[in-house]
Amino acid sequence: MIYDFIVVGSGSGGGALSYYLNKSGANVLLLEAGKFYRKDTFPKTEAETSAQLYWGGGIEFAQNGKMGFLRTKMVGGSSIVYQCLMDRFDDIAFNDWRAESGVDWFTPEQMDPHYSQVESDMVLHTFKREEMRPNGILFADACDKLGYKWGFLRRGQSDCGADKGNDCVGCLGGCFRDSKQSSLVAFIQKAEKEGLKIQAETEIYKVEPNKDTCKIHGFHQGKPVTLEAKKVILCGGAFGSTRIMTMSGYASKLPALGKKFASHPQFMWLGFQNEPVDAHKGMFQSVASKDPNFRAQGFKLENVFASPISIGMLMNVTGAKHQHYMKQYRYMQCIEVAVRDENIGEIKCDNKGKLTIVKPLTDQDKTRRDKGLHAIENIMNAAGAKEIFKSNFYFGLHLMGGCVMGTDASKSVVNPDFQVHGEQTLYIADSSIYPNAPGINPGLTIKSLGHRLATQLLK
Amino acid sequence: MNTFSNRAVKGLTKIGNIYCPKNGEFPAYEEVAGLHFLNTLAVNVPKDDFTSLNLVLIIFSFLPNGILRWLVGKFEAAQEDDSEGIIASTLRQLNLGLRGLCYSTYYSEFTNPAYKGRTPMEIIDYKVNRVTN
Ligand SMILES: Cc1cc2nc3c(=O)[nH]c(=O)nc-3n(C[C@H](O)[C@H](O)[C@H](O)COP(=O)(O)OP(=O)(O)OC[C@H]3O[C@@H](n4cnc5c(N)ncnc54)[C@H](O)[C@@H]3O)c2cc1C
Repeated sequence: MIYDFIVVGSGSGGGALSYYLNKSGANVLLLEAGKFYRKDTFPKTEAETSAQLYWGGGIEFAQNGKMGFLRTKMVGGSSIVYQCLMDRFDDIAFNDWRAESGVDWFTPEQMDPHYSQVESDMVLHTFKREEMRPNGILFADACDKLGYKWGFLRRGQSDCGADKGNDCVGCLGGCFRDSKQSSLVAFIQKAEKEGLKIQAETEIYKVEPNKDTCKIHGFHQGKPVTLEAKKVILCGGAFGSTRIMTMSGYASKLPALGKKFASHPQFMWLGFQNEPVDAHKGMFQSVASKDPNFRAQGFKLENVFASPISIGMLMNVTGAKHQHYMKQYRYMQCIEVAVRDENIGEIKCDNKGKLTIVKPLTDQDKTRRDKGLHAIENIMNAAGAKEIFKSNFYFGLHLMGGCVMGTDASKSVVNPDFQVHGEQTLYIADSSIYPNAPGINPGLTIKSLGHRLATQLLK
Repeated sequence: MNTFSNRAVKGLTKIGNIYCPKNGEFPAYEEVAGLHFLNTLAVNVPKDDFTSLNLVLIIFSFLPNGILRWLVGKFEAAQEDDSEGIIASTLRQLNLGLRGLCYSTYYSEFTNPAYKGRTPMEIIDYKVNRVTN
């Protein structure tokens, strides 16, 4: 059977794209390497979540072991575990994308119809003052004292049940209320009802495009499979799509493959308060920095937290010292800085498919980090923290680049029509095509790019 | 399926007692850890990485506690320094990988069924309500 479209990878990009393609009545197959979990089958504990949902069994490391990367392997991809903060890109982000890529439609105006369509297909909620929890209040009040601007977050959620006593920290392992607007909830489950074919546990390692169709090779539950479509769109994420392209032999044809990797490195610090903060209770996150000075300086602050195992991992101390801090889990306030980093990282892959991620921090990245950490320290001090744990472990949740979009085939992997340079039937539409780091949550734009490609393919 | 050998579990217990010792209200790692649950934590770990981890733990099982304590100090120090070399990188990955395994079985809902005291989750007073719809 030759499908009209095969979409490889079901995360933010693949979920939205397959929904819009399927709506047209086309014969679409959505493939996913990981398993198919639903709201009532997601793992229920932090340990099981990390072990079962994440590539690498929890975390993957940069070559220097300093930075960890988180990406998930299941239907819905990283959107199952993301916080679902949905932000449009601003002029700064699009100007830098145009400059890097030569792609002239990277503008807020040209992207507006795609953003609008995706936004209307999700339930979006902007938080209000009465929904703030102590972690947010400490952050916002201290920002006010210091003259830093902050704002309420916009999140994809329908009914989190906070008024019924639900604690949203649990949804970091998949929302068990189908409230969080993951790709699964906002797109895949709806498309499934409309006839989208979904095949989980199918990992693709090679693409073979020709003029009229594209074949793909992989394993379904360990058994070899070959599938064919008029058009194949890779949505495996920055690591996944780069890996498939490299294993398919494109590194020699497209020198930019694997290059220009960025990941918004995030550093989380903990401030210890005298009264319980209970940052894990109720709505998880409601506010973030909205300071134009921070934006200009290349960082943003978010008011986050994590479950005990992750918090333990952040603190590089062991034994009694570790237990001393963990005993104060309920008293922790938490803020992280996300750095708008330079895209000098590299995603390498050997012929067995083993990835090596090279991701040093540049001097500019370090300056941005230090400015952000300085602001965190000021906020925690202004909030009356009796001690601050300054963790130096950092991680990337926003994996971008590796197959970047651009007009020049020597500096990019896909052209402005999302087509792999030189190919007619092979496309990429996920975070791997990001030309550089926007410094803004990437999820909404990934979905909107999926909508743009769907519109174009269905013309 | 990745399966830790008995010897490797012994090594993990030894290092776990250094990371999470008996201390005030906190039980020792060996008393409370949900080791029966360990293999389920390794389902997605790539085969090569798992083989190396299992081997490291087997080696730990033969090392005296004093040497293990010294090693843990080295792991922590590697995390704090800026060196890009292969040794520092390996020590950092071990630091995070081993702590990850220990904390996942210590701060866990699946503790040792024979343990009857307060669990680390109860001691830190971590409770999460899941209100389904
Ligand atoms: C904890 C966390 C919190 C986050 N919070 C936010 C947030 O609040 N807002 C925001 O905008 N972003 C957030 N992000 C980032 C966001 O989730 C990602 O940027 C986004 O999901 C990336 O989309 P993608 O389609 O490129 O890749 P993914 O969503 O990662 O999807 C890729 C999919 O492809 C599959 N795949 C990979 N290789 C293959 C293969 N060979 N064969 C078949 N399938 C394959 C993967 O298993 C995966 O399901 C967060 C991320 C994390 C981890």
